[in-house]
Amino acid sequence: MKRWHIRDIILVTILAIFMGVIFWVIGPLYTVLSAALAPFGLSPLANELLLGIWVMAGPLAGFIIRIPGAATLGELLGAVVEMFLGGIWGASTLISGVVQGFGSELGFIFTGYKRYNWPTLVLTALTTTIVTFTWDLFRSGYAAYHLPFLLLLFAVRFASVFVFGGVLTKLINNLLVRAHVLPNATH
Amino acid sequence: MNPSLKLGLIVFIALEVSFAQVWTANVALIVVSLMLMLINHVSFKRLLYLTLVPLFFSSTLVWSLSLRGSASPHFLLVIFTRLFVYVYMGGLFTQTTEPLTLTRSLEQNAKLPSKFAYGFLAAFNLMPKIKTEVATIKAAAMMRGQVLHFWSPQLYFKVILAAMNWSDQLAAAMTSHGFIEGAPRTHAQTVPLVARDWWLFGGSLLLVQVALFCGLP
Repeated sequence: MKRWHIRDIILVTILAIFMGVIFWVIGPLYTVLSAALAPFGLSPLANELLLGIWVMAGPLAGFIIRIPGAATLGELLGAVVEMFLGGIWGASTLISGVVQGFGSELGFIFTGYKRYNWPTLVLTALTTTIVTFTWDLFRSGYAAYHLPFLLLLFAVRFASVFVFGGVLTKLINNLLVRAHVLPNATH
Repeated sequence: MNPSLKLGLIVFIALEVSFAQVWTANVALIVVSLMLMLINHVSFKRLLYLTLVPLFFSSTLVWSLSLRGSASPHFLLVIFTRLFVYVYMGGLFTQTTEPLTLTRSLEQNAKLPSKFAYGFLAAFNLMPKIKTEVATIKAAAMMRGQVLHFWSPQLYFKVILAAMNWSDQLAAAMTSHGFIEGAPRTHAQTVPLVARDWWLFGGSLLLVQVALFCGLP
């Protein structure tokens, strides 16, 4: 198993800062989307639609750095940046960061940090969705929603995590593989 | 208060508040955070921002919960105040803590390995460069008639290449300046961790437990 060296630590932090800036930049988009959906009582959908972008730092760091803990650390540091920039979730951003990062990490744990392909990405998206959704059942009071609406939220969240944390991450990964900058990578 | 202990305290309270359903405790936490921010001269503009943001999101969340769910008024009140607790406590922390002091404290007091502390610092000081790099990449693409959005893989690809380049160079620079991973270090500036910090930490934690578990509504 690879260990953390200063280069990897700097790399994961730079990636996290970049993602943190993106998390923060899409804040207004989230606000507008929530406001537009709010009159229909659908504002949680805005959260579900964009969640994939917020959790992207995890799978991206996991795919690029390939050391146990990379996904969790990447997502946590992204959350730290977002909090210091003044994100909308305040102190709970840090907890969400760990929860989201660990959700992605589980996908890599289940594949033993050995395979970096589509099944791993789908698995990562699934574990991220389940772990973060459980957290929201408590934090955002999702448990009080009627079941059909809850299922809709879950489905939208999975789709979003799959598109951003899965498809987009894979496309980025493909570009990096073609540029030969990833260690022992396969298509 | 010592930055590491303050961070631990705030994260722990935020975690407890996420599961507890005591709105009076939430209000108490909001008032205390607000008072501490006022004592620490947090600007009025910042306070306004910290108030309007949760006001909007709490309102939409409560509205959807009452429309699409079966939440009691008590639960809605809990959810409404909870978001304020998060944002005010986060604001209190970020407005009263320097990232540099926090990193030093994490290394000295919380025994974070120095390779992490200095790795984080090296990267965090690149923040302006990272922002400029994103702007440069977008502008360069625009010159070729290509618009890069936050969903474009090319944007991430180019940023990651820059990040890899920088992390190689920074790591080499640190090594050539005599940084050795895992070697014992002395500190030019020490972050004190004194008995008073522990009393503040323990006292605040105790007060929060009393507020959460003594049967308040």
